[in-house]
Amino acid sequence: MIGPLPILEPSSGAASPRYEQGMNFAAVLKETQGGREDLPAPPDFDGPPRDLAERARRALYEVADPELPISVLDLGLLAGIAADEETGAVTVSLTYTSTACPCMDFIQWDIRERLLEENEIQSVTIDTVWDPPWTTARISERGREILGSFGVAT
Amino acid sequence: MTQSSDASFKSTADLPDSVGQPLGALLLSLADNKRLLGIRYADWILGAPTVEAGIACSAMAQDEWGHARIFYSMLKDFGYDPAALEHERPASEYHNSEILDADVSSWPELLALNFLWDTAISVQVEMLVDSRFEPIHYKVRKLLDEERFHFDHAHGWISRMMATEDARAALRDALGAAWNACLCWFGPENDDVVGALSDAGVVSGGSETARSRWLERVGRFASELDLAEGSEGAWTSAREVDWSDWSRERRRRTEGGPDEDSLARARGDRNRSLLMD
Repeated sequence: MIGPLPILEPSSGAASPRYEQGMNFAAVLKETQGGREDLPAPPDFDGPPRDLAERARRALYEVADPELPISVLDLGLLAGIAADEETGAVTVSLTYTSTACPCMDFIQWDIRERLLEENEIQSVTIDTVWDPPWTTARISERGREILGSFGVAT
Repeated sequence: MTQSSDASFKSTADLPDSVGQPLGALLLSLADNKRLLGIRYADWILGAPTVEAGIACSAMAQDEWGHARIFYSMLKDFGYDPAALEHERPASEYHNSEILDADVSSWPELLALNFLWDTAISVQVEMLVDSRFEPIHYKVRKLLDEERFHFDHAHGWISRMMATEDARAALRDALGAAWNACLCWFGPENDDVVGALSDAGVVSGGSETARSRWLERVGRFASELDLAEGSEGAWTSAREVDWSDWSRERRRRTEGGPDEDSLARARGDRNRSLLMD
């Protein structure tokens, strides 16, 4: 559970609040960690990951959607993933269930945090894509079963 | 035409100035109109005739703000500073329609925005689906998926209200007051700026095409309210378009811009002290 939200002051030294740096959700999100404890276990993988991109993709089974008890992977938010084996740089292409998804920043934060726990991953870039558009058809079979067990129709 | 018909513009760097400048202006107009329309929807979250309509207004407001953010963020590549666009402009630099400048006082007026104005914006966005400017092409389909529900909402309510004489009279006044602004928004016939976008394949059609497509959507109800005439597939406005005080640059009539309260909400003035670094 998240306790009362902290009162957040504009950063010291800045003449005015700065928008261009984006929001830092660290104070709020430390406790969510993508809700990992509540997520179903990842599926059984067939052997070790064959490359860094696959390693990163598997890790996303441990990142929950902030509103549903399902991983971002089962929800179908992952549009693409690429990795540079030498530099450990991972680029994730993500889409969202709606253009006004209020959780975009949370999801990105959780994904970045989780991927950087992998020793082989040194940096994470997350791109937002809207094509192909997300629809419920992007939810995996496993995801449908999980959501069904929580009474969410897909 | 310097490009072959199947070539696409991968980024703003590929766009000739004659296309880049008006395309940036179009995106800014779309962004501002969606931001202000979102505020108008939000005004009715608690005051709509039914709880369900209020919830729908909430969802539509959120959609419009999501779409506005997408368009504002795209403007970075057109030489704008998106943060400044979103949070720091005076009212005189907004490019939203005058019919969104202040709150509307009745549900029929809100439906006029929902049915006529929201549809006008979506028609213009639809004309970007096949855009040869790839960054747009890859963004608008999702947005239009969401807009279908806005049209369904408006359509359902208007159908329902057409059934009683009093409600129909209120709709006639409300849609009549918004009618001219919608007709103007697509631009004058043979407008060379819109024409440049159309010729470059960035927008799939000029101002007349857009206006006709809009009339196809709204014509049947509008004809029942004496605003349009003709028949299915061939609706025209029953009123002459009044172009007085029309600003091509801002795609709106009259000076000014959002009123003080709307501006504060559009820019997030009251939220500034809460923004985290």
